[in-house]
This record gives sequence, C-alpha cells and structure tokens, in this order.
Amino acid sequence: MSVSDHLRGQHILLTGGTGFLGQALLEKLLSTYPETRVTLLVRRRGSSSGTDRLATLLKRPVFAKWREAVGPEAAAAIVAERVSVIDAELGNTDVRLPSDIDAVIHAASTVSFDPPIDDAFRTNVQGVVDLYEAVKASGATPHVVHVSTAYVAGARKGVVPERSLDHDADWRIELAAARAARESVEWDSRRPAVLKRAIAEARKVHGKSGPQSTATAAEERRVEWVEKQLVEYGRLRAQSVGWPDVYTFTKALGERVAEETLTGAMPLSVVRPAIVESALRYPFPGWIDGFKMADPLVLAFGRGILPEFPGLPDGVLDVIPVDIVVNATLAVAAAPPPPETPAYYHVGSGARNPLTFRAMYDSVKEYFTDHPMPDGGRGQIKVPDWTFPGARRVERQLRTGERVMSVAQKALLSAPANKRTRRWQDDLTRQQDQLDFLRKYADLYGVYTEAEVIYTDTKLLALHRSLPGDRVEAHGFDAATIDWYHYLQEVHYPAITATMRKATAGRRTSSNALPPLRQSPNGGDVVAVFDLEGTLVASNVIETYLLARLCDLPRSGWPGEIADLVRKLPRYMAAERRDRGEFLRTFMRRYAGADEAGLARIVAERLGDALLRRSHPEAIRQVRKHRAAGHRTILITGTVDVLVQPIAGLFDEVVASRLHMRDGRYSGFLEAPPLVGEARAAWLRRYAENAGADLPASYAYGDSYSDRPLLEAVGNPVAVNPDPHLYRHAKSRRWAVAQWKAYTLPAGDVFLETVP
Amino acid sequence: MSRPGFVLEVDERTPALLMHEGEGFRLEKLPLGSRVIYPPESLPGMRDVDGEIRRALDNPLGREPLRELLYPGMRLTIVFDDLSIPLPPMRTPDIRQRVIEQVLELAAAKGVDDVELIAGNALHRRMTPAELKRTVGERVYRSFFPRHLRNHDAEDKANLTEIGHTKHGEVVEINRRAAESDLIVYVNISLTAMSGGPKSVSVGLASYRSLKHHHNVHTLRHSRSFNDPANSAMHHSYDRMAGLLGDSLKIFQIETTVNNDTFPTQLGFLNKREWEWSLKDQAAYLAVKRANDLAPPKRRRQIWHKTASPYGITSVTAGDPIQVHEVTMRHVLRQQLTEVDGPADIGIWGLPYICPYNVNSIMNPILVMSLGLGYFFNLYRNQPIVRPGGVAIYYHPVRNEFHPVHHPSYIDFFEEVLAETTDPVAIETKYEEQFATDPWYTHLYRNSYAYHGVHPLYMWYWGAHALEHLGEVIFVGGDRKTTARMGFRSASTLNDALEMARERVGGSPTINYQHAPPLTMADVR
Repeated sequence: MSVSDHLRGQHILLTGGTGFLGQALLEKLLSTYPETRVTLLVRRRGSSSGTDRLATLLKRPVFAKWREAVGPEAAAAIVAERVSVIDAELGNTDVRLPSDIDAVIHAASTVSFDPPIDDAFRTNVQGVVDLYEAVKASGATPHVVHVSTAYVAGARKGVVPERSLDHDADWRIELAAARAARESVEWDSRRPAVLKRAIAEARKVHGKSGPQSTATAAEERRVEWVEKQLVEYGRLRAQSVGWPDVYTFTKALGERVAEETLTGAMPLSVVRPAIVESALRYPFPGWIDGFKMADPLVLAFGRGILPEFPGLPDGVLDVIPVDIVVNATLAVAAAPPPPETPAYYHVGSGARNPLTFRAMYDSVKEYFTDHPMPDGGRGQIKVPDWTFPGARRVERQLRTGERVMSVAQKALLSAPANKRTRRWQDDLTRQQDQLDFLRKYADLYGVYTEAEVIYTDTKLLALHRSLPGDRVEAHGFDAATIDWYHYLQEVHYPAITATMRKATAGRRTSSNALPPLRQSPNGGDVVAVFDLEGTLVASNVIETYLLARLCDLPRSGWPGEIADLVRKLPRYMAAERRDRGEFLRTFMRRYAGADEAGLARIVAERLGDALLRRSHPEAIRQVRKHRAAGHRTILITGTVDVLVQPIAGLFDEVVASRLHMRDGRYSGFLEAPPLVGEARAAWLRRYAENAGADLPASYAYGDSYSDRPLLEAVGNPVAVNPDPHLYRHAKSRRWAVAQWKAYTLPAGDVFLETVP
Repeated sequence: MSRPGFVLEVDERTPALLMHEGEGFRLEKLPLGSRVIYPPESLPGMRDVDGEIRRALDNPLGREPLRELLYPGMRLTIVFDDLSIPLPPMRTPDIRQRVIEQVLELAAAKGVDDVELIAGNALHRRMTPAELKRTVGERVYRSFFPRHLRNHDAEDKANLTEIGHTKHGEVVEINRRAAESDLIVYVNISLTAMSGGPKSVSVGLASYRSLKHHHNVHTLRHSRSFNDPANSAMHHSYDRMAGLLGDSLKIFQIETTVNNDTFPTQLGFLNKREWEWSLKDQAAYLAVKRANDLAPPKRRRQIWHKTASPYGITSVTAGDPIQVHEVTMRHVLRQQLTEVDGPADIGIWGLPYICPYNVNSIMNPILVMSLGLGYFFNLYRNQPIVRPGGVAIYYHPVRNEFHPVHHPSYIDFFEEVLAETTDPVAIETKYEEQFATDPWYTHLYRNSYAYHGVHPLYMWYWGAHALEHLGEVIFVGGDRKTTARMGFRSASTLNDALEMARERVGGSPTINYQHAPPLTMADVR
C-alpha cells in the first residue's frame, strides 16, 4: 500500500499550519494528495480570524509553485473544497472537533527556546492535553502523529534510540507549578524591596523628566523583571530535571501527555525531527520561512561579528531539510501502529550522515569567502577564523567583554557630549549589540553545538525502505542522500543570506538627517517647539546670571559675588542632578532683591547681544525655516522670561518662568513651577488641544534627556547637541540628531565683549 | 618730499616681498620678471591739524564760513563717517573728533541749541556706545549720548523722508532729522577714491529703497572701477542723488585725507620697501612673525584689532560738497596712485585682516571675497591690473568663521544661498528681496549690532565686476571647503597656484603684484 493510497479520501486535522513545518505539510497535502481533506486548527491573532489567517497564509512563497501550476482560480477552488478552518486556540478555549477525522498531525509548538515558563507549558503541555481530550471527545479514533523534537532526550551523551522517553517528571505537577509561577512572580515583583529598586533605578535615569516618566519606566522595569524571572524559572527547572531548556523539557512532557492520553485508545506515532532547516527540493530548493535555529549564527558569522563560538569541533550539528521532515511525517501518518504500542521516529541526519560542527564551520567559511556579504558601500566583510577554544574560554572572554562594556558605557554616559564621544558611543553600541547577540546564542545553543549525542533512525529508515520504488523520488526521506556540500553551499546559505544581502547592499546613509519641513497649509496647525539652553543657545542659567550680575556690579564687588557662586555651586549641581525644577527654584533665589527695570535695562543693553553671541546660528535658522513653512514656533524654557526677550521675536509663543515681584523688586521666588521635563510635554498636549495643533505632524528640538517627554510628544523629534543619554535614546529610536555648534562664540569671549 | 610710487621688476637681487595674509603676513619670493606696484611713500602729515581745521572752516570752498551759516534756533545735524573707515582705525584722537569739537564750539558760540550727531552707517551695523565714544571723543560723547548722538536707522520708517526721484527714476530717501535740518555738516575721512563727496549723505543716511539703485549687479559691473568716479556707474548714480539733495538741503562738507602711515612704529617694517629694511626691521619682522604664528587664532585677532594707525592728516577741506571733493580726490591720488604699464596675466594681492565691515569683529569668507574681488581688485584706473580672462591670486586663510551677532544674515547667505549658486545675477534675482525684508534680520539690524539682512548680497555684488573679468580665482593658503563653496580654488603655495593658473595663462605668465600694505591704486595704461 502506497502512502497516497493510504491517505486517499482521508480527513486530516493539522495544527501549527501557520508555522514553518506546518506550512510545508499543508503545501505537500494540497499539491500531491488530491483526495485528502484537511482541517486546520488556527488561532485568531489580533483582529484576523483563523479563516483570514488561512487566506494570508496561502499567499506565502511556499504555495507559489503549486498556485502557479494549477492557476490561481483553481487553487482557490481547491482550498474551498478541501480545506476547512477551526478557529480555536489550544490551552485557552474549548475545542470542538469533527467526528470524521482519520489522522491528526499535531505540529503546533512554541518556536522560542526560552519562553517564560507559563507560556511554554501552555502551548507545549496544556495544548497537547486540550487537543487530545478534544480528539477523544469527538468520538473519532484517528491516527495521531505527534510532532516533537529529537532534543527531548535531554542533556545526555551517547546514542538515543527511537522509543518512549525514560524519565520520572510528572507533567501534572510541573504544569500546575508553571501556572502558579506567573502568579507568584507577579506577587514577588510587587514586594516593596523590588519596587523600591525599580523606582530608584528609574529615577536615576528619568528623574529629571518628572514623576510620570519615572513611574512609567519603573513599571516597564517591573514587567521586564517578571518576564525575565519566568524565563529563569523555566530554564532552571528544565536544567534541574535534565533538560537544557524549557522548550525541550515541555516537549518531553508533551510526549508523556500523548502517551498517557492516547495509548490503548487510538494509534499514536511520535515524530522527533532534529534541527529543521531550508528545503532541499520541495516545494523548491532553499525555501525557508524566517530564520531557523542555526541561521542567525551563520549570518552573524558572515557579517564578521562572531569572533569565536563555544562549540565542540567534533560535535554533530544535526540539521535536516524541511522537505525530508514533511515526507517522513506524512509517511508516518500513513502507517498507524497498533493503539497499544505507540511508534517513535527520529528524523535527523546525525546517525547516518553526520555534519560535524567543524565541517559546518569550514563550509560556512568557504561560502562567505567565495560569496562575501556586502559592507554597505565599503567593499565586503571579512569573516573571522575560529579556533574552537572550548566553552570555558569563550565564556570567560564573553564575561570580560561584558564587564569592560558596562564600565565603558557608564563612563561615556557621564562624559561631555561632543562629536568624538558620540562616535565612541556609536561604536560601543554596535559592540554591545554583538556581545549581547553572542551571549544569547552561546547560552541558548551551547547545548546543541556541544552535543555529543546521536539520534538513531533505524525505524524511520525501515519506513523509508518500505516505500514503493516509484515514490522514493518525491516522497522519500533518507537523510543519507543529502549531499552536504550541495545542500549548504548551493541551497541553504544562498537562501538565508538573500534577504540580508538585499538589506545591506548600498546602506550607507546616516539616519541623522533632519526631518523635512512640510509646508503647513492651514494656518499653522503644525508647531515647532524649541528648548532654549543647549538647543538654541550654548549658555546656561548660571552663565547668564553671572553676566547679568557682573554687568551690574562695580569691579570691586566681583570677587565676593564669584566666591559666593563658587561656594554654592556644589549645592546647585546636586539640585540639578536631582531635578531641574529644584535647581531653577534654588538658583533663582539669587535674583532676590534685583529690580525689574534694572534687569530689563541690562538685558536690552548688554545681555541681549550676549545671548545672540552664544546662540547657535543653525538653530536660529531652523526656527526661521519653520516660520517660513507656516509652522507655529514655540520656545519652552525654565529660564526667566526677561532674559529670553532678545530672541522672543522668533517665536509665536514663549513659555518661560516668571519671577515673583514685590514692590518692583524680585522676591527670588518663581510665579509658577518652572516648565521642565514632562511638564513640557503636558503643556504641549494641552496647548495642542486648546489651540488645535497637530502633534504627530509637529516638531520638537531638545538637547537633554529630560526633554525626552517633550520630544516623544511630537511626530518629528530632533535631538540637538544631545547629552549621552539622549543620544543613546535618539539612536535607538532613529530620531534625527543635529550638531549645531558652528559659529557660536565661546563663553570667555562673550564675557570679555559684554562686561564693561 | 616723499618719493613717488613706482613699479619694481623682480630680479635676482629682489628680496622676498611682504604679503598680507589675514591675521598674519609672510615674505614671498615672486617669479623673476614679476612687477610689483608700490604706492608713493607716505606723505608728511600736517603739523597743526587743529589750526588747519579752523582755517578750513573759516575759508570754505563755495560756501560762507561755517560760523556765518550758524544762527540761534536753527536745527543743526552733524553727520560723520562710521567705523568702516579708516582701516585700521585711527589712533585717538580721531580726526572726526577734532573736527566735530570745533564745529560744536562754533555752534555753541552762535547759540545753536538743537544739535544732533548721527553716524552715517547706512546698512552697516550700529556703532556700540564704546565705538561712538572712541570716534567723537569723551567730551562730545558725554554731552550728547544717547539722545543726541545716534546711529542712523535705515529701517525706522517714521524717521525717513523721501526727497524725490532723480531723472533716472531713482528714489532718494534719507534720514528725516537730517533732511529737516537747516544745515547738515558732514564730517568725512576719505581713505580711498571711492568715498566722500556725493556719496556721503546720499548713501550714509539712506535706506534700502534708495540704496538698491546703485548697489546692484548691473551698476557694479559698469563701475570700472568704483574707485574711479568718472568711469563708475555707481558714482554717476550718487551724483544724480547728491544733485537732488543739493537742491533741497544745505550741506556743509568737511573732508579729510590721511597718509600711508598704516602701522605703528613697532610694525614699521610693514610701511617700508623690503630692500630698505634695516637690521632692526628684519629683527622686528622675525620676532613679530614668530610671535604671531605662535599665538592662538583668537588672541591673534584681538591683537590685530587693537592695532590703531598713526595716520598723518594730509588735507582738511570744507565747503560745497562737489568742490571740496575735487580737492580731496587730488590728495587721495597723490598718496596712492602709481602708474603701471599695462595689465598682466596674473594679479596678486595679499589680503589683510581687516575690511570695512569687520572692525572689532570676525573676517568671514564673504568679506574676504568682497575685500579681494571688490575692494582690492577695483583699486585701479583705466583697466584692471589683470587682463580679461586672467587669474587673480589672493593670500588669505579664508577660514569658515562668522560673528553670530554682527553677521547673522551672512551665515545664512553662506550656508544656504552660496550652496545653491554663486552667480551674482541669480542671487540678486532670487534672494535680494527676501534678505532685504526679512523681519528677523531687520530686528537684529535695528536692535542688536547686526549688518542689514541684504548686506552680504551687496558684498557679493561688490565682486561682480571681478567675477566677470577674471578667468580664475585662487586663494593661497585658503580653506579648501570654504573657497570651493564660493566658487574659488585654493592652493597651498604660490607655486601650486601658478601651476593651477597654467591652463588659463600658460607656463610663463606676466605677473602684477599690487603691494599692500599700504594701499596702492594702480593707474594701468
């Protein structure tokens, strides 16, 4: 009996149809099993239902050849006739299955190796329970093909046979514990000590922006912490019972669920593929959906960012093309074992056609030497040489690298902001990314690349040999037939590097360019908001105060004034570090007793030009360009309003602090809280509501990390002469970064030219 | 008696010759056969300047003596040239102070109460109180500043008066106070042949509306040169306007001229011919050159800008503007004119650290262009010292630096306009009105110390004639990016520059070096 004969007229339930293996299975069923019906179990995602997802799915490249062969109309008709969808999610809802199912192929699974523990259990254990309970409830007794992974054998050495796993883990207890884990971690994360730490860390970075930003950041930190804890829960629990990660652990428990639920009731076959990679021949050579396990490593190597890797040179990388897995799975489906004795099959290459890590490396290296990746207009990337120094050395290198990186990051964040430190920051960020990448894959894949284990495939081979001779070509699955050189060099690597090549070719432009100024058609519903100090002018509150004071005082009074300022400087700086508003409040006390008319006169006669001398002409030009484009220009500053008079003419709106007056003299208090940090964003939002501004189309310019809320409030933020924190943030958000320092006179010159 | 100017032909015995290059100078060996144009030696200054002023006020040309023009109850306005001349600024007391003090003494003696002093700064930046004080002197400053000693404000619409139109349709609009005065006394310093005379009131007190009739590309291309009024379309326009003003206003012009004592004694070598340097001069040169090269650029600029010239006064003439100016011109040319036998393939100029628009400020690239291709190129009569299609070689570092307060519109002009085009006509057509009427520039001109928005464009027009005439402009030592932005080339040495000039003028070109300092006007036959 041939395979297609057996599946002819059958009704197959397929889960995981939108996944990598599932797509390939569906394609094969549609294209070569014309009389087999398929029901897909697809969960709804966002607003698209299971049916919508099927429609999208059928447009994917995997079906391209088939669609072309039968024609688009016929393809639609075939799908309508033979494919139905059940809109349900395993692990969450009741599933009702049709009663005429002949076979179930359960290919749904989490894709990640390190999901939070509850996610992993929900899909890989609870999902299995739900599905098989539903199958039982439907009244049918189909042949269940349970797709697992070869790595369920856990961390071990030697030969692993094709049979039931040998372990004592109780899936019911583990499942309950996993479910409870989230609740417990959520509780944990709300403990005062934990929250206190989160708040303190958030305040260190966001304190200057204001309480709302701090709170948001603290909560983000808490949620991140919860996720990280749950990932830890998963990984450590898995390792404590002998599995490398929560993925293989839960897949192993899933097998146990299948055995316990189905043995005796219906036929069960467990298919355990190894590392599934791009197609060897079907639907076309090189077909792949996204990057699979080994691919990021291959690409990283090709991009020259993987200097070394903790693999064993003689370890086996058990890679298997997806079309072989598909053929094997369908062949298994066509050969149900007796209900009392489940069958087990390994689908891998390690046993009879092993690819060692060393061979893989040679092959990757050869490929990228012959076909190097483009380096964005700077020629091509050189690939590194690996020496396989062993896991311990690599780990040590990694840890040293991480330590150096963290020190360097901290140092740079408190370094002065200039072109050079910004370039260092760019370099550091790139290296940090590479290090993070390396760390992630070293942790995750260490087990796989260090594997000293062989998965036998005698039973699968026997099944393959039972195929009639005329069907071996299209339906065979003998891993020994893979010509690694051909597969890797000519099929796999070109497939996974294709998108990358397209993406990096000719990428050279920096993302720093200013956003284009779109003409505002209807009388300024676009606004351009500018911060003053650091953005428009190079001076600061202290400098301006000192100028004003020295212009007013006779020379004999200078030493006293300067000494007093210097003495209090540490206090001011401490206040500034804590909160910009607090600093302004403290500093403005120095104006106590000054008379308003006198200050206005000094501003008109001397300080005005001092401010212009310290201005950034490019910034002023930008303000003027906004005006020319019909935008409303707004100046937001914590500085006192009289002091910004000289440039007030550039703005439609000036929002500045006002000093409180008593009998024509300043009292040293502010009229209202100074607009700093998130208060600026709040002001802008309210302004936008009242005055009808279109914030997503608007622009904001700021230099300090405390301007972040303001910048985030608009659609076109620009970081001007950014401090290291803001620069890092701007880079990560791909904001425009402007360096506006040309032609500004240094403070010393301005003092000399201003003070009589 | 001073020696006349002459043209030196460089031979084996000729030492390296002095060359300005921004805030510095160098000695350069010129190719054999190059011709160097030297001005007449500095003329002797007057011994009794105050006495000469008194004599001039009492014996004016074509007017009654000043004391007879003054009467109680009259409105008297004294207008004086602003800080754009002389260059470098004159050692105090400034000749303007000396003249103004005598005029004020006469006015006081005659019981004139209503006196105003106005700086004729047209579209230039306002003079600061300190600069005004330096120009008119402590006594006058204290009595008149700030209410009766002011800068002219060409954008103060309420204080401008339209006098009328010339027969060419040119609008004449000047300062209202001056226009409504019973007598305008204009106190002038004529440093070059282009200034003074009809230019004084019609330009110094005018507005953009009026100035645009002569400060434009067409006029400047037909002013050959603008230091030769008879052949200058710009001066013809001044003359028409001055004629109109003369019909309705009473102007008493006092003009003065200075000699070529440009630098103080410690820099005396700058005023001498190189082969006549004494040992002391040579030592001074080495010391100053070394110190100057070592000084940081900012410090260097400060030192140069603090340098004041010990000019001697060579003439004081008063009376009717036209008659006075004829005399003044004779004195200017007597000091500066040297006859040259025909143009050469290449003209060389060393550009100094100062021009009319960067006193106490920064010499920006636009000003370098206007100084080189405007002022220096136009220091000729009959024809330029370079043949049409020839090459001009200038010495200047042309650094990309601007003064943000004094030259805000210059920055935008350099960054935005020149990035698009360097063609004067295209610039005039597309950008002049925008720059001239920009409210922010106007605000800065009126309330801060900025040159008027349109001023950088005028600077560019100033070089329009040279741009048309020359085949190539090369800056020795010029910043590559900055010179390229302006459409010029830069060379690191004179030899490189000559090599670059080859394609225009061949391998053995003739060369004219217009020696500066001091100022020389070439009469090219």
